[in-house]
Amino acid sequence: MESEERIIGPGARILVTGAAGFIGHRVVERLLEFGYTKLRCFSRPAGNAARIEELQRRFAGSAHIEIFKGNLLSREDCLRAVSGVELVYHLAAGRGEKMVADAFMNSVITTRNLLEACGREAGIRRFVNISSFSVYSNRGNRRGKLLDESCPMEAEPERRGDAYTFAKVKQDEIVAEYGRRFDLPYVLIRPGVVYGPGNESIHGRVGIGTFGIFLHLGGSNTLPLTYVDNCADAIVLSGLKPGVDGEVFNVVDDDLPSSRRFLRLYKRNVKQFKSLYVPHAISYALCCLWEKYSAWSQGQLPPVYNRKTWCAYWRKTRYTNQKLKSRLGWNPRVSAPEALSRHFESCRKKLRRA
Amino acid sequence: MLKVAIVGCGKIADSHAQQIQRTPHCEIVAACDREELMARQFCQRFRVKRQYSDLAQLLDEARPDVVHVTTPPGSHFQIGKQCLLRGVHVYIEKPFTLNSPEAEELVGLAQERNLKVTAGHDDQFRHAARRMREMIVQGYLGGPPVHMESYYCYELVETSSYARALLADKQHWVRKLPGGLLHNIISHGIARVAEFFTTDAPQVMVRGFVSPALRRLGEEEIIDELRVILSEEDRLTAYFTFSSQMRPSLHQFRVYGPRNGLVLDQDNETLIRLRGGRYKSYLEQFVPPWVFAKQYLGNAAHNVRKFLANDFHAKSGMKWLIESFYRSISEGTSPPIPYHEILRTSRIMDAIFDQLKSKPAVREPHDSISEDTVSPLV
Repeated sequence: MESEERIIGPGARILVTGAAGFIGHRVVERLLEFGYTKLRCFSRPAGNAARIEELQRRFAGSAHIEIFKGNLLSREDCLRAVSGVELVYHLAAGRGEKMVADAFMNSVITTRNLLEACGREAGIRRFVNISSFSVYSNRGNRRGKLLDESCPMEAEPERRGDAYTFAKVKQDEIVAEYGRRFDLPYVLIRPGVVYGPGNESIHGRVGIGTFGIFLHLGGSNTLPLTYVDNCADAIVLSGLKPGVDGEVFNVVDDDLPSSRRFLRLYKRNVKQFKSLYVPHAISYALCCLWEKYSAWSQGQLPPVYNRKTWCAYWRKTRYTNQKLKSRLGWNPRVSAPEALSRHFESCRKKLRRA
Repeated sequence: MLKVAIVGCGKIADSHAQQIQRTPHCEIVAACDREELMARQFCQRFRVKRQYSDLAQLLDEARPDVVHVTTPPGSHFQIGKQCLLRGVHVYIEKPFTLNSPEAEELVGLAQERNLKVTAGHDDQFRHAARRMREMIVQGYLGGPPVHMESYYCYELVETSSYARALLADKQHWVRKLPGGLLHNIISHGIARVAEFFTTDAPQVMVRGFVSPALRRLGEEEIIDELRVILSEEDRLTAYFTFSSQMRPSLHQFRVYGPRNGLVLDQDNETLIRLRGGRYKSYLEQFVPPWVFAKQYLGNAAHNVRKFLANDFHAKSGMKWLIESFYRSISEGTSPPIPYHEILRTSRIMDAIFDQLKSKPAVREPHDSISEDTVSPLV
């Protein structure tokens, strides 16, 4: 992308929240490579900013990378963070929380605080919010139908039994609400499964190991993977490209593998373990049963497996990155075979360390 | 129909709402949180009609019979007092208040106004705990308890989101409690021993320190290892242990009487009888293992039966406590947790935190517990 095609010049100040995280530090790196010289990296007070410090050393002299220690739950910190900023990449989010209240606080309240601060800061040109594929319902889609940006979001996220999904749906809603209220231009980025060094776990779309043996639930489903470097590219472009305000972009790579192929490669390249394939009809029936038992027993088993979850994660679906390519000019810089190879290498290293 | 309101829409509020909605003859009519969005998400998920960010407005408009206070502990007293002054019964999450004077004031206010108040010591009412209480009442121990041991541990590992948040944030509300991390956790374990003391002034000896594991993470303030000895007039003693590092991370209560003892394991939901008498000769080594095996099998069968009967929810103790509390309101009977137990728990915790404050958390290895750490509670 040529510099004259961007909404901000290289001297504009950019805020990146979650900058020290799995995707965040790669977004910062990409912005530096694009020639941006004033980057403010929001990090938690005791967050590990080693990756950003490494970038500071690499780009010393050519860019000013500020590590801003703060808490997004503090409105004052948010106000200070957006001061003088023209573009915001909001990657910080509550991950791994099992309780809805925690996930909500660390995703929605934090986002609201940041949006309010942006509303008071006159020069914000765009707010890029990182969402997730998990916000899509996929319930009404037919088997094998294409999931794209026009598909509906989960209308009753509280019934998905998943704190992360609930928080992410509400986060997207609040971005749209505050975007309208403050006339704040925004873009929503919805990555599929982001993988690569730093996220070595096998995603639930492939299967689950909760019950002692790994249940392979994905089968022949296509996995909506995006390698972390490719995803970071898409995020960066969505903040810079003119004419995409209010748009949603799904992020998946080319040449997506099936769940079965991914699992086979994982076993071959990382470690062997036993897995049991559960056909879709059976996994759907089990999810139905679990949902009904959970409701009947008033939560003796938590409603974590249900038809909504099944549709979102295990229904056979096709994915597209057409909009990403046509509107943002994105192309995956790392090919699927290379990305998988790097990912498995990282998994092996992690296994050796453990 | 009892009208219930919840104040504080953080994560423990979810457990309250789930158990209230399983309880007959009551309805959650309103929820309140200073953060409007938290109240909104809570009301949406639990289908609660009225949401507020101001407690006074909630009390005026929703006119609840009972308020559940599920805010961070620093606000328990003020919210509890405000509700009691408005003629509303109060269920306050643990720890009941920040200190015993506050607890005394709330209990006094409730008694004065003929209202009911209870503390969220729901672990005391899980299945095995209720069976234990029943056996003690029936005289299994052979007399009043002689000695007790209460373990209430917490796995504070770097990977847990709670630990990450607490360790990362020097301004975290847990750090601001008089007893820090301990204040937010140990009341369940202290309440277990408080139930069996008879005076309000057991003696307390304390040793607390920051574990090496936390020190390695650069933490110097959070005391996560605590050992307490309690005693009452050379008649009844108790050990209390809190540890973030020992494994297994026990939640166990042992009580010994003059004839027999009992071991309650909250994690496994088991209650094991310890026979005071001995078998003759080698039989002492041959018979008891079989007796214990039979008891554990019996506990397993009991738990499975409860599960199949749909009575084995993770928060079964809270459901029982809520039901009993509501019954005490509607029938005008005594509340499920006697007030003297709530106050005794509070006083013991005060004494523990006072002693921890009077001695620095960092100590030399040879430093031992001295006489001056023994303080009678008055």
